[in-house]
Amino acid sequence: MISPRRYSTIATLLCLLAAAGCRDREVVTYRAPKDPAPTLMAPAAQGPVDPNAPLPEGHPAIGDAAASAGPMGALPAGAAANGNALTWTAPANWQAKAVSSFRKGSYNIPGDTGAMADVAITAFPGDTGGLFANVNRWRGQIGLPPVAESGLEAAIQRVDVNTFHVIVFDATGSVNGKPTRLLGAIVPFDGQTWFFKILGPEAIVAKEQAGFRDFLSTLKAP
Amino acid sequence: MTDLYRHFKKFFVSLQLTVALLILSLILVFVATLDQVNLGVWAVQAKYFRTFAVLWHVPGTGYSLPVFPGGWFIGGLLLINLVCAHVYRFSLTWKKTGIQLAHAGIILLLLGELFTGLWAKESFMRIDQGETKQYAESFLDNELVILDHSDPNFDTVVAIPETLLGEKRTFQHPKLPFSVTVREFYPNVSLQMRNQSAAAAAMPAVATAGLGAQLVMLPLPVTYKPDERNLPGAYVEITAPEGPLGVWIASPQLGMPQTFQYGGKTWEVALRAQRHYYPFALTLLKFSHDVYAGTDIPKNFSSRVRVRSDDGHDDREVLIFMNAPLRYGGQTFYQAGFDKNDTTTILQVVRNPSWQLPYIACIMMGLGLIIQFSFSLAAFFRKRAAAAAATATT
Repeated sequence: MISPRRYSTIATLLCLLAAAGCRDREVVTYRAPKDPAPTLMAPAAQGPVDPNAPLPEGHPAIGDAAASAGPMGALPAGAAANGNALTWTAPANWQAKAVSSFRKGSYNIPGDTGAMADVAITAFPGDTGGLFANVNRWRGQIGLPPVAESGLEAAIQRVDVNTFHVIVFDATGSVNGKPTRLLGAIVPFDGQTWFFKILGPEAIVAKEQAGFRDFLSTLKAP
Repeated sequence: MTDLYRHFKKFFVSLQLTVALLILSLILVFVATLDQVNLGVWAVQAKYFRTFAVLWHVPGTGYSLPVFPGGWFIGGLLLINLVCAHVYRFSLTWKKTGIQLAHAGIILLLLGELFTGLWAKESFMRIDQGETKQYAESFLDNELVILDHSDPNFDTVVAIPETLLGEKRTFQHPKLPFSVTVREFYPNVSLQMRNQSAAAAAMPAVATAGLGAQLVMLPLPVTYKPDERNLPGAYVEITAPEGPLGVWIASPQLGMPQTFQYGGKTWEVALRAQRHYYPFALTLLKFSHDVYAGTDIPKNFSSRVRVRSDDGHDDREVLIFMNAPLRYGGQTFYQAGFDKNDTTTILQVVRNPSWQLPYIACIMMGLGLIIQFSFSLAAFFRKRAAAAAATATT
């Protein structure tokens, strides 16, 4: 006959194995010391929130590596465009600014009067809504009305630079009553869409027009 | 009953079972090693080893089918097989001491892996120079927390583990005067400003409060790369008895806590790396990154920390450096990395109550084999001596 001792040995082993199936699946509550000097955001405004409002002062740029740093530090998330990255050589007069994982490249172009144009290089997975929507988004940023889908090709230029099919956008509108020009390029590459955008006072951006083509010719795939 | 028992006994004691299980474990290790290319080390551990069955997700359905025994199943059966053989087959004689000891060592090794899988916790503590921290953060797991900031001395935290968020259900908790509903949960997202791209602008606005109205969440495929971290995101709706208070975006990518007022208290909602609080605090006094003179080659990384226990029992300085971890309060703090131009230290915090078991198991197996082979060697010498004596007499 089987002895109770042997039964209990086997039962203990089975219990151990069963316990192995348990994971952290409970809502827990505890008291924790307060985080040192948290930068608390103002309590939520009651009522509708403006979707175009900027982030509150002091909030790091969304996608900024420091903001999303895990406990192991600035590890890249599988976020933003995490495929192969393009490389380029910026013209000498572009002043590099701090980049984030959101902005792959960021520059200022100083003008004669102290005004600046902003260069933003970003990349996102997929087609980010398609060419038509992105062209009209750029037009909206300089106060121009959207074009109809039939007028899309007239609003852009398609050029081949190195191995890339590039869509170049150039338009002048006005922001806060000042003539503002947006010179941009959209480069689909490796399942991502790269945006190269110069936005600033008309006079500064006009001077960059020739240099922008040269800049695009420095684009390289890894 | 006796027949059934004999049948079971024969099955669990048999050497064929051992061989079959070893072959299965070989196949499992081989396939898992190959799959590490796709899944990375953490996901492979979960999919192949720390599970009873390897599941195959039937494409196009929500169902998964078990296709191969998992590590716990094979290891568990192997453990039962070994224990049964130990109990039934071996006799307790001096001659068998070695083999008994070696087998006991293997049993302990298997148990050690089981206990490690069950109880070991790895997390990380990032401390800036001069900063004091009382918690470590998980590298893989996240939690949705609702904090009650009303007490000036401490926060009351209600934490919902990430594993429950995917169920997208409503949580009621006695500490909360409102309910928390997870409307959507994505294990990895990219946050974008709504005005940043046309795709983002065209996405429906789900969040109505906090930072959410200006942001959209773009779900991304889960990453398994060892140097990347999934950053999850959720739409969380908070509903009071009087009606809904709003829908918040929660994600570790937000750089600022989101607070709201309800019932005369300030509350905060956040999705963050899972925290483990300790009854002691570590202050980073100085992080040192030494190089060999005249070169940039690292010589040593070390963190001088001050350890203070909540009960006031301990208050001392410790130097943590490579291969010299701090063992305190059941945790082991290893020097794992640094950041922010050598002003931040990253300590790996490991809690593994069964960390000695593999060492003990190896000593037992080694001793067992030495004893076993010593007996064999002695027998061999005796035989040879006898044979020599026999030859001499003939």
